[in-house]
Amino acid sequence: MALRQTIYILLIASALGLGLNLVSPNRLDFIGNWRDLHDGDGPILPPDIEPGDAPFIAVDVAQLDFSARAALFVDARDPDEFECGTIRGAINIPFEYLPEGDLGPYFDSVLSHLSKDERIIIFCSGEECDVSLHLARNLQALGYTDLAIFFGGSREWERFHLPIEQRRPCDE
Amino acid sequence: MRRIIDNDHLTMAARVVVGVVFVSASVYKIIDPGSFARSIWYYHLMPGSLINLIALVLPWVEALAGLGLIFGFLYRGAIVWVNVMTVAFIGALTLAVARGLDIDCGCFKAADDIDGSALQPLILDGALLLLIMQLWFSRSRRWMCGRK
Repeated sequence: MALRQTIYILLIASALGLGLNLVSPNRLDFIGNWRDLHDGDGPILPPDIEPGDAPFIAVDVAQLDFSARAALFVDARDPDEFECGTIRGAINIPFEYLPEGDLGPYFDSVLSHLSKDERIIIFCSGEECDVSLHLARNLQALGYTDLAIFFGGSREWERFHLPIEQRRPCDE
Repeated sequence: MRRIIDNDHLTMAARVVVGVVFVSASVYKIIDPGSFARSIWYYHLMPGSLINLIALVLPWVEALAGLGLIFGFLYRGAIVWVNVMTVAFIGALTLAVARGLDIDCGCFKAADDIDGSALQPLILDGALLLLIMQLWFSRSRRWMCGRK
């Protein structure tokens, strides 16, 4: 009898859940397009990878590091874009605003709370921007060893409705 | 021991507590299945194509099982479901903790934020499982309005 009742509950719940979804304002597609951790979708890659570049990671790997608080996220875009919306908790190192000359002291001050073997994930807007790649190469050259590039960037992060942080309204 | 487990009042109290927990846990998920789907996705345990179906059906299973316990209809089936779901939640949360994920459990609120600890709901689920065990073994059938 318990098995039969268990099945009745499942059938009634299915009818209610799937039926009401058809008329719900918060309607969901029955088959979701959530990206699986191991679905074979690799990271988005830039066309100009060089041997020795830091590894490129997919959004799900970035999200795992984010939720495990296992990495510092670095937004390589301009401050305007950073303040308009970035991955929650990220810091801004705007690649195009880096000071001239020896960058070592600059990075040492910006990343003073990190040792050079701690994990840093660098990103920018998405596949059309490559400042994350260039920033990663600079950091590599200065001895930072555990870097990763999230080339899907803030756009892919937002597409999956992952937590963002907005410091001020975006410019039109 | 058997007399304590079969006590009508103790059994009724456990039915109400477990039932209310399950019904209240189902409410936000029924109202906002999209956020619940995101909570499920954060665990990285289910195939992506099944997540929406689970997010649509599971809250109603929770609600029906909770109501079944409180009012005593489809009672044995309700006990099986609360058992299965609680053990599954404990398993998923344990895996999340073991993998170092600091995630919102998605138990009672929308997952607009993935800050939060899985440890507290893990402890609550453990306590809930004790009450469910009492219901599982109790032979009390008082104050039931349906088939036993």
